Amino acid sequence: MLVKEHMNTLLEFKDVDFYYQTKEQEIQALQAVNFKVNRGEFCSIVGPSGCGKTTILSLSAGLLSPSNGEILINGEKVKENDSRIGYMFQRDHLFEWRSIWKNITLGIEIQKPKDRDEKLALAEELLKKYDLYSFKDRRPRQLSGGMRQRVALIRTLVLEPELLLLDEPFSALDFQTRLKVCDDVYNMIKSEKKTAILVTHDISEGLSMSEKMVILTARPATVKKIMNIDLIGDTPLAKREDPSFGELFESIWRNLTNEEKQPAH
Amino acid sequence: MKKNNLHTKYSITHQKYIKKLRNDKIFIITMQVLILLAFIGLWELLATYGVIDPFFFSSPSRIFRTFITLFSSGTLWGHIGITLYETVIGFIIATFLGSLIAILLWWNEKIRHILEPYIIILNSLPKVALGPIIILWVGSGATAIITMCVLICIVITTISMMNAFLSCDSDKILLMKSMHANKFQIFWKLILPNAIPNFMSVLKINVGMSWVGTIMGEYLSSNAGLGYLIVYGSQVFKIDLVMTSTVLLCLLAGLMYGGICIAEKIVLNGKKSTKTEQKKRK
Repeated sequence: MLVKEHMNTLLEFKDVDFYYQTKEQEIQALQAVNFKVNRGEFCSIVGPSGCGKTTILSLSAGLLSPSNGEILINGEKVKENDSRIGYMFQRDHLFEWRSIWKNITLGIEIQKPKDRDEKLALAEELLKKYDLYSFKDRRPRQLSGGMRQRVALIRTLVLEPELLLLDEPFSALDFQTRLKVCDDVYNMIKSEKKTAILVTHDISEGLSMSEKMVILTARPATVKKIMNIDLIGDTPLAKREDPSFGELFESIWRNLTNEEKQPAH
Repeated sequence: MKKNNLHTKYSITHQKYIKKLRNDKIFIITMQVLILLAFIGLWELLATYGVIDPFFFSSPSRIFRTFITLFSSGTLWGHIGITLYETVIGFIIATFLGSLIAILLWWNEKIRHILEPYIIILNSLPKVALGPIIILWVGSGATAIITMCVLICIVITTISMMNAFLSCDSDKILLMKSMHANKFQIFWKLILPNAIPNFMSVLKINVGMSWVGTIMGEYLSSNAGLGYLIVYGSQVFKIDLVMTSTVLLCLLAGLMYGGICIAEKIVLNGKKSTKTEQKKRK
């Protein structure tokens, strides 16, 4: 049973502490953070603003190293610039001087992988699958906000990462587009069978997309509660219709507001 | 033909709007030409009727005659050629070297911090003050003039380009890093293309600055060129020559600036949205 669980775990945070150094002081961002994300799982991280959610992503991506504890992917320590990780940002960061095709093949161009041709074929396949193929020679500015985010996701997926890190990827979009793109991104991630961690300040967005939710305390952040979410529906939009959605939202909201009332240590 | 199609396609209000836009443009251009013509006409009239002394103020007709004389004597092209040569060479060297130094300063943060005070001092120093030293070191003539031109343009190029490189969105750099890009790839695929609009602005600034540098250089030491003609003309009280050279300078600088503007339009054709996009997001 234990072995099976271990096999299933893709990412594990074990007693992770993290300190930021500034000129004036040392700030503890994370304190003994423990959680696991299973293969194929969609996990959201919510917490009071400024609690260190993005720090968790940077640590998972190997862009920062933990001060104490360890972070494991497939049971191995995360390396600097780990190729098993794909990152998606608050904004799409498409390069305006490149065509859509040139944007999504940027990673291939940088990494020059041995299976370059296969990766290029995958890029083409993904563009076709998500109805963007006819736009491949266009510039990013000719696409809508939602299409741009889909292109940004394909740019990440082309490199075939095992774990996707999503840092509030919908926060720059207006509400309606956001719901639509949320559905699109969710479907893409599920259909490509990827594991994803979503950092968000929007509880309903997190709830509607994930199977697991990690609630953090105020800084120094530690895990307050891990909730398994089992809402009925194929898409985030459908999941919002589930009768227990409101109740879950309430419970998370209460957890978070309690946190924000307490002064940071 | 195309215009007719447009008219049948759009509403009367839209046609009126388009007409208003066109009329506004025509009005602006007409006014611009009128101001020039009025200035030339008034100048000529005042000189003809003796209100101003043409000996000190010259006049458009005298400028035109001087131009024809210089042109027919064959010396004009030589003077224009030498000034243009010095300006263009100075402009190219300064832009190239300045950008190169900016790359170095972007690349290495420590070097940037070490050199910062020197760059600030060099930027605030009136480069003309270095004129006599330049002549002592590189000799007089074209080399000294080009050196002066380079000195005047290089610091501002370095500072502007370095700021352009440094202003790149840190998340974009993070994105490149998350794709395992090395520093050269980050520079080549992100920082440099991202700074192209700033580079075009630097070119525009440098056009003006390089003319300042060349004329300053020619004032200090030269025996040919438009700057030389201006100094020579003022020394022998040939104001017509001074004015003719100044008018030619205006035309040449304007032409060079126009050339850069056309180049900018071609280069930025696909990039124009970057700035508007950034503004929108702010």
